This record gives sequence, C-alpha cells and structure tokens, in this order.
Amino acid sequence: MSRAWKSPVAVRDTAPTLTGKQQALPFAEPAPPPPAAVSVTPTSVRRLWFCIYLPNLPLEACRTSDEAFAIVEEQHGIYRILQTDSLAAAAGVMVGQSTNAALALLPALTLTERSPVREQQVLEQLATWLERFSSFVSIAGKNVLLLEIAGSLRLFGGLPQLRQAIAKGLEGQGFSAAMAIAPTPLGATWLARAGRRSCIRAEENLSAALRSLPLSCLHWPQGQYEALAGMGIATIGDCLRLPREGFARRFGAERLLELDRALGHLPDPRDSWRAPERFCADFEMSEEQSDRELLLNICYELLLSHEQFLLARQLGTQRLCLSFFHLKSTATELTLGSALADRSALRWFDLLKIRFETLRLPEAVIAVRLRSGLSQPLQAETARLGFNAKGGRQRRRYSIAQLAERLIARIGDQSVNAVNMVAEHRPEYAFSVQHPLSDWSANTLDGRKRVERPLWMLPEPALLPVDRGYPLHKGCRLTLLDGPERLETGWWDDNSISRDYYMAVNAAGIRLWVFRNRRRTPDWYLHGIFG
Amino acid sequence: MSLTKLLENPRIWRGGSRLDTRTGLASGFAELDRCLPGGGWPTEALTEILVGHYGIGELRLLMPALARLSAEEAAPHYSEQAEPGWIAWVSPPFQPYAPALQQCGIDLSRMLVVRPKDDSELLWSAEQALSSGTCAAVLLWPETLDDQASRRLQLAAEKGHSWAIVFRPFSARHEPSAAALRLALESTEQGTRVHILKSRGGRPTVLNNLFRNKP
Repeated sequence: MSRAWKSPVAVRDTAPTLTGKQQALPFAEPAPPPPAAVSVTPTSVRRLWFCIYLPNLPLEACRTSDEAFAIVEEQHGIYRILQTDSLAAAAGVMVGQSTNAALALLPALTLTERSPVREQQVLEQLATWLERFSSFVSIAGKNVLLLEIAGSLRLFGGLPQLRQAIAKGLEGQGFSAAMAIAPTPLGATWLARAGRRSCIRAEENLSAALRSLPLSCLHWPQGQYEALAGMGIATIGDCLRLPREGFARRFGAERLLELDRALGHLPDPRDSWRAPERFCADFEMSEEQSDRELLLNICYELLLSHEQFLLARQLGTQRLCLSFFHLKSTATELTLGSALADRSALRWFDLLKIRFETLRLPEAVIAVRLRSGLSQPLQAETARLGFNAKGGRQRRRYSIAQLAERLIARIGDQSVNAVNMVAEHRPEYAFSVQHPLSDWSANTLDGRKRVERPLWMLPEPALLPVDRGYPLHKGCRLTLLDGPERLETGWWDDNSISRDYYMAVNAAGIRLWVFRNRRRTPDWYLHGIFG
Repeated sequence: MSLTKLLENPRIWRGGSRLDTRTGLASGFAELDRCLPGGGWPTEALTEILVGHYGIGELRLLMPALARLSAEEAAPHYSEQAEPGWIAWVSPPFQPYAPALQQCGIDLSRMLVVRPKDDSELLWSAEQALSSGTCAAVLLWPETLDDQASRRLQLAAEKGHSWAIVFRPFSARHEPSAAALRLALESTEQGTRVHILKSRGGRPTVLNNLFRNKP
C-alpha cells in the first residue's frame, strides 16, 4: 500500500542507514557514502523539534484585564467575533457572531479588534524568552513556535523536565499552548495543531503517528479540503496512500513536498530566530505611581529580565538607561554606567539604588523603560577555591572598579579621578587628572629632577603681597630657604613662563613653594605647599 | 554593681590593656615608632591628625608609610582577586601634586582622588572606600566629624582592613573621637612637634622636632 509512496529517490538512498542495526551503531561499520545532497539534510543528524502552537494568541496577546473579553475581526465588511474568553463564552457569545449580537448578549463585553502587529510582537517576545531553552528557536507562521531541543535535553534533565519548564513558563505568562514533540518540524506542528500531546522521539514511529491525524491540522486551502473530502480522504494516512504523481498534479507539488518534509523524507530547513542584541523592555502601569519603593521593585524586575536576556547570549553591558515616563512632563532619564561589562541584576540594582536616592521625579510615573547599551562578550572571572583566600579576608570584596563605579554613581562622574604625570617642566602642566576607570598606566619619569616638589598644588598661583621687595604670607615676611630654581619654558604656546621658584617658610613654620615672575611686573606668587 | 560587671561595659576603655598585638606599619621615623604600640601606625584603624594649618608637615609625616603601602601591596605576593594597595584621597584641600607624590614613592596608578560635594557625601565615600577592602589607606579631610561618624569610620576601617587617616583642625582636640590614634601637629622654631593625644594600647607623649622644616 505504501510502496507507491516510498518512491522518492532521496529516501531510497538514505533508507539503508535508517534500518536495522546500522542505526544503533552508526560508527561501527562505515556505511556506503551517501550522495552529497542527502548528507547535508537535517535528517542525517538526529533532531527533535518541540512545537508550541498558540491557538488563542489573538485573544491572549491583546488581553489586559480579567473582565469578559472578545476579539473581533472584519469579515466581508462586518465585524464578527473571532475569539472569546471563557467568561464571554459562558454568557453565550460565540465565534462568528456579529458584534451587535454579542453586545446584546453581554453588554459588559470588552471588544478589541484583532492586532496582527501585537500578535507578532508577542510571538517575538516568546521566541526571545524561549531562547533560554534552546539555541535554535524558529517562528513558523502566525502562531507557531518551534524549538530544536535535541541538544537541550541533557542540560534540562530530560524531556519531561524540559517540557514541564516550558509549559509552566507559558502558563505563567498567560498563554494556553498545545505542545508536541517530533523529529521533524512539520510533524511536530501538525501534531500540536491536532491537539495531540504526543512525544515522538524515534523517526520510525513518526509516520504511524502522523497517519492518524485529521486533514484539518494541515491548514490547507478550503477548496482542497473539499476536494479531498469528496474523494473520501479524511486523514493524512489516507493522503499518503494516494499515488504521488496524481496527488501532485491535483493539489500541487507544494503539498507533496510538505508531506515529504513532515515525514522526514526531505530536508526542512528553518530560520533561526535571533533576538535583537540590545535589550529594551517596558513596564506599563495601569495607574500612576509615585511610591519609590514600588518603582525600585519594578526596576528590579526589569533588571532581572535584562539579566536573563544577557545570560542567554553570554553578554554583558556597560551602560543602562532607565526612563520614567510621566503623564504630563517629559520622561526622567537615569543612565547607569559600569566599569566592566556586567549583567548581574543585583549589581546593577546596587548602583541604581545609590542613584535613585538622589533622583527627583517631577510627578508620578506611569511607565518604566529599561534600555541597555551596546552589549559585549562578558569576560568571565575565574572563581577561586576557598583555601586560596586568606582566612580573615573571605568576606565579599569589591574590586577598585566597583568602588569607583559606586562613588561615581553617587557623587558624579567629574568628582572621582586619578592623577598622572606629564613630561613637562611647567609645574601646572606636569600632572594630569584622569578618569579612574579608563585604561592608562602611570608615566614614570626618571629622577632627573631631584629638586623637591610640593605635595600640595594650588589650583591657580596666588598673588602674594610684597613689603619692600619681600613677599608676605598672612601678614608676615617669608623666609626664603632654597632657590632660585629658574623655569623658563613653554615658548611654543601662549602659556610661556619665566619664573624663579623658591622654597620659603612662613611664620607658622609651613614650607611654601613661591615664585617670582620674571616677566612683566616682578610679582611674587604662592604656587604650592610642601605639606 | 560588681566591679567585673562594670568593666564589661564596652564604654569603658582601659589604658593599660594591650589587647592589640598587631604590628604596626613602620612610619619611617624611628622616634615615632618607639612611641606607638606595635611599633608603627595602627593600620586597620582610624588615625586622627590634628593640624593648625594645612601644610604643617602632616603629609610628610605619612609619606614614608604610604609609599611602603603603595609599593608593598602592589607586589602580587598573594593571589587576591581584589586589588589592595590603593590610596584614596577624599576631599583634599588642594590638588595632590603628582610629581611630588612620585618623588615620595607613591604608585600613581593606584591613587584615587574623590571630591564629594558635602560632608555627608564625603563620609559616605570614605566609608565605601574603607569597607571595600581595596584601599590600603583612605585619607580624608572633613569639615566636621562627630563622635558617631568617627565610630563609623573606625568600624569601616576594621571591616575593610584599611587604614583611615582623618585630618582635622587643631580646635577639634577636645571633641570625643573613636580613633585608635590621635596626633596633633604643632610647628615650632626648630621643627614639627608631634603630640600623641591618644593611642590605643599606648601612652600620650610629646615628640619634639620629629623632623625639621629648615634644611
């Protein structure tokens, strides 16, 4: 009966490797080299597809409250009910009714027009969420998600556990899904659409499971169903019994291909879903909130999903931007920076708390958005074994970068810095202030200048009053101890100097670094304190 | 109330008890080291230095010890993931001058200058730096420092195994403080005089002419 069916050339070539002991011991005895076209098919690698079929997606994507709710869609100029929730259905609202009829039955019914855009968004969100279970997630059509799970089974502790984790997650997010597992993507999809909670792992069992499925799960055009029904064909198994050539002529080669792919006779490549590399998530509230504790909690929720997002990609980010939206004023922005790429929600939350303490919100907040900056591969740190650390020092330690981050978060970017040397004779240019987290190494200049320099530097040289040619400090004459050291340089720019520097001591015994300007008027200036 | 019970009161400090057996950090001044319990600066604690004017020699007093911290901890002699040996300057009155610091032997690549806007931020920054465990020493110049704040700094220093050095005006010598060591610096004709006002496990003394201001 199925001989007519098993005629494709590709199947005959792969058939020997799929039967008998050779399958159990694929490497024990080298099989005759299959043709190149077959060796690259996905069926040559053992794969397992997990299909999530979301029949109620139009309803669940737009649902916002717990009240009676229905989705309407325009059909031939009339809005008709497309899907209803259980409350509306209990009141007698039925699929296909006109909106007037539905409202007459249940005046409190909320009606929303179907939004394919929103459905697509939700589907993409779900695909992003599913990336934690598999490296290969595919969006197949309007309400089907496919996961390749052969590689994930071991990590999640087996098929039942994985299935349970996915089912629980979907339920928690408010989606009702039909799930099925099969070695081919189309096979899994059909099983899910037919509502079979089957789990078929071996390819040889697939054909039997698919044969009993009704044709309705194929989602073919209505006319073809009628034609098939007229021929007395009700299941896929009936379809497979038909002669291939005639079937292709009547219903199109496309349909035949579909059947072949579902059975695993032909390769069925799929596109892998790739979530955007930047994280962006909103939290919208039903009413305005000004409770800061609550807002912090919302931010933490967002940070947690951000962490999950980065974790799935093994990435970290150095910048985060939080926007607090208000109804009337413009949004309040809060940018957080980190020295090292990081994803830990707790560490970001630590920084956020510091900044949030001083953040002023002009009015209550209606929505919060979290956007991450460019992500980058996370540099994993090696955990140390316990005996490496010193006994008393095993408590949690911050690195200097973390300390600098915390300080910057609280008191501002400009207020935390490092100092470095610059090879320059002019004292005011002989050092530079640097950002503490930037990559730099201290310039070590050789000890040519063994002349002592003051530890304290005044921001600007301060003019000293003069009494009969001697400089005064706090009303007392300075005693010059050492000098002069003449510095005459900087002719190449506008800030050339010509000064005689002296070490002086004032009446209080403080050693000062003073200079006499040799240009213009011979004034005395205080430039540093030896400390 | 029996005497033993009274002595258990944590507010009672007994001068003669040498609970602290840790060795101090050599100050570079032999005369000072002899007067300090443990033979040097008490690290992992708060040191208070009272000065009449900034520039009286307070940095010169610390530089040998800071240079040692900076150089010593930089060597990877134990595999700590965190990087000890940083020196944080919180709210210095003037710009710490890099060439002079390098002359004194400070590793500039391990120096952090923090300039908070007010005293509450200053104390917060200092506490963070001390308890982080990455700073070997934290120098701070607060406008005012009450008893409670000094206690917090002392605790943070113990927690982070860090040396807190607070600079205060000479007028603060009668205010209570939780510091393990309190010094007052006074400038005289001959040089700088150091008063040890309080020293946990030591005795108050006066050191004349620890170093000279005139060459």
